Parts: sequence; C-alpha cells; structure tokens
Amino acid sequence: MKLAIFNGSPRRKNSNSTVLVEHFVDGFNRFSDYSPTIHYVADTKRINDNLEAFDSAEYVLIIFPLYTDCMPGVVKEFFEKICERKIYQSKKIGFIVQSGFPEIIHSIWIEKYLQKLVNRLNCDYLGTVIKGGVEGIKIMPPIMTKKLYKNFEMLGEYFANHQEFSPKIKAKLAKPYKMSYVRILFFKLFKSLGFTNFYWNMNLKKNEAFEKRYDRPYEISIATETK
Amino acid sequence: MRNNLVYYLILVRMKITVLNGNMTQENIEFERLINEFILKVSENNVVEQFKLNEMNLHYCTGCWSCWWKTPGKCAINDDAEKIFKSVINSEFVVFASPIYAGFTGSLLKKITDRLIVLLHPYIEIIQKETHHKKRYDNYPKIGLILQRENETDSEDIKIITDIYKRFAINFHSKLCYVKILETNTMEEIIHETCNI
Repeated sequence: MKLAIFNGSPRRKNSNSTVLVEHFVDGFNRFSDYSPTIHYVADTKRINDNLEAFDSAEYVLIIFPLYTDCMPGVVKEFFEKICERKIYQSKKIGFIVQSGFPEIIHSIWIEKYLQKLVNRLNCDYLGTVIKGGVEGIKIMPPIMTKKLYKNFEMLGEYFANHQEFSPKIKAKLAKPYKMSYVRILFFKLFKSLGFTNFYWNMNLKKNEAFEKRYDRPYEISIATETK
Repeated sequence: MRNNLVYYLILVRMKITVLNGNMTQENIEFERLINEFILKVSENNVVEQFKLNEMNLHYCTGCWSCWWKTPGKCAINDDAEKIFKSVINSEFVVFASPIYAGFTGSLLKKITDRLIVLLHPYIEIIQKETHHKKRYDNYPKIGLILQRENETDSEDIKIITDIYKRFAINFHSKLCYVKILETNTMEEIIHETCNI
C-alpha cells in the first residue's frame, strides 16, 4: 500500500501532530513492507512536491490541529490547490483532527466538510479520527500519554492490515464528546486549587510574561482618545 | 477631540470592520458588490475595509508568543496588527469571501486563525464546554457574506454556517447572519447589517 501522510500543523515537524504521526507510523510499519512518506503542508515552498506526492499516493492521510474550529488556513490553501486540479481517481483519503480542547464537540463540525471535500474529488472517504486534549502532550509525564500513544500505534497497525481506521479505536479516541458533570466538577475543583492553567502559567513564568498575562495591547478606548 | 466623541456617540451607529477575502483580481463581481455594500452601510456607520489580497499577511505558526511570551501581541511583523486593532474595537465584523473548495477562502482563514491573539489562553467552562477566556471586555458580533462557486449547494452553506457558529462561540461573539450574494438582495444584507 502506497500511503502518503500530510502533516498540516503550522508548527510543521515540531508539532503535536508529528508526535501522533510517529506513533501511527510505528504501528503501521510493523505490518507493512512500505513505510509511508511524510509531507509538511506548511512547507508552502514545497507545494509542487506535496501536490505530486498527493497525486501519486494510493492512500492519503491528512492530519491537522483544529484552528479556530476548522482546518488551519495553510491546510485550506492546500485543499484549494488540490481541488483546482481535479485529476484524482480511486484514491482513498482519511483525516486525523486533533485539538487542545479536551472534548471533541469542538472538532466534529469540520468532519462534514472533509467528507464532502473527498466526494468533490471523486475519491473514497476513509473517515476522520478526532482526538481532543492533545496540547502539551510533549511535556506530559509518560504515564499520561501512554494510552494515547498506544492507541495511535494500534491505529497504525490496523490501518496497515485493513487499509482503514479501526472503528473501535476511532470511537475510543473520540471521547469525551462533551464534558460530563463529573469532569466539570473536577475542572472546578482544579480551578479552585489553581491547577487548571498550570501549563499556561508555567510557560508565562518561564518567559517572564506572567505579570503581563492580562494585557490588551490592541484596545483603543474612547476615553484615552479624547484626553 | 471632544467633537470626535460627540460624532462617535450621536451620529454614528457602529464601527464595522469588513474583512474582504477575495483571492483573485478577476472576481470583479464580488468586489463590485462588496463596494456597494460598504458604500451604503457607511452612510450611518464607520466602516473600515481590509482587502486582504493587497496586504502583507502570514499564516499563524502556532508559536503562541501571543499567549505566553508577549501576552495579547502577535510575534509576526506584518500588516495583521491593523486588523486586530480594527476588529477588537468594532461592534460588528463582516467576514466576506467567495467560496473556494466548499469553504471560505484560505486568505480569510489566514487572518481568522490569527484572531486568537485577541483571546486569553486560560480555559473556562461556558455552557458546559471548555472555551478560552476573554482577553477584552467586548467582542464584535459577526456576519458572513459569501459568493457561491459553481457547485455550491445548500449543504455547503450549512457546513460553513455551522463552523462559523462554533467560531462565534469561541470568539465570545454571535453569528448574526450568513448572506449569499446571489440569493440575498443587497437591500436585505444592508438592512440586517444596520440593524443587528
């Protein structure tokens, strides 16, 4: 199976999407003679190489982080370029959408678009794997990410064997759909203890920007203008 | 200066920002209709239009300087800062774009991605969902003006509308309307804009 993976993260190689792809590929390679090729969509200077890789692949996976409730602008540009050409046949395309929000309700709206995009290209739609809670995975202790990485390896294994996403793992990753009462309760408890924004505060402090965290540099108030 | 304040409070209803996401010079019809829209709406409002295709704009790189290095300020040195200032100091923002590949254009999405500079990294629960906290007190309401492409159908419009509704929630805003230049009359679009 000739699989091309397109990493749509604006952070390119240094991204959470890369970490997920690595685990997917680890699993995939255990059951495939051919290793997938990996392409970075945000590498816009290599657009022609990327389009060529898209053309020649039999299977395509596109992974991206959720940016303002859908694909990042640079991924949209890639979609536009693909649609302009309209020369695709018998290609199978699947997506992985990851987001920092813990619940996946933020990410489900883009799925209908992706499905329709594949129809528009006359290709076969392999589905969209949706995963929340991905921001910060690189600094999390292994105990917190073990299950996630294992699931992505298994997703890769299954893909190599069945040429599709495992419905079981897909369903597992798509949780929680919304915040349950228990989760909200925990969130509020953590908030009262000052834990919820630990990740942000840690980075704000590291950059000596903690005191300025509420800055509003683009505000123009009428009061100041008329002084 | 005081006169400006009087002018602002009495004569002018709203400050409106129009983000014009037209991506091709050849699309004269879109340009003509948006210009007509702006001309009419400007009669009672202060309207600032940004023609995105004439500006130097880069994609968000996800560096998060705006959240944890220089809070509220984008690290990319291009024309986007003018847009941030205009958007956050407006009462209403029009996202205007021809539809490309079934969605608003990548040029409009480029600047939309960067609007996260106007939000705060902290997470809070709003209507039982996690959302980013407000950085500013007030956020503009939003409207969407689209131009169809050949294959556009009602499902495409529904997909776009649903996603912008979600964006409005995350942006502490409200999607007031979605208008299609081919199906909604200019009078209707202007009327609704002036009466949001």
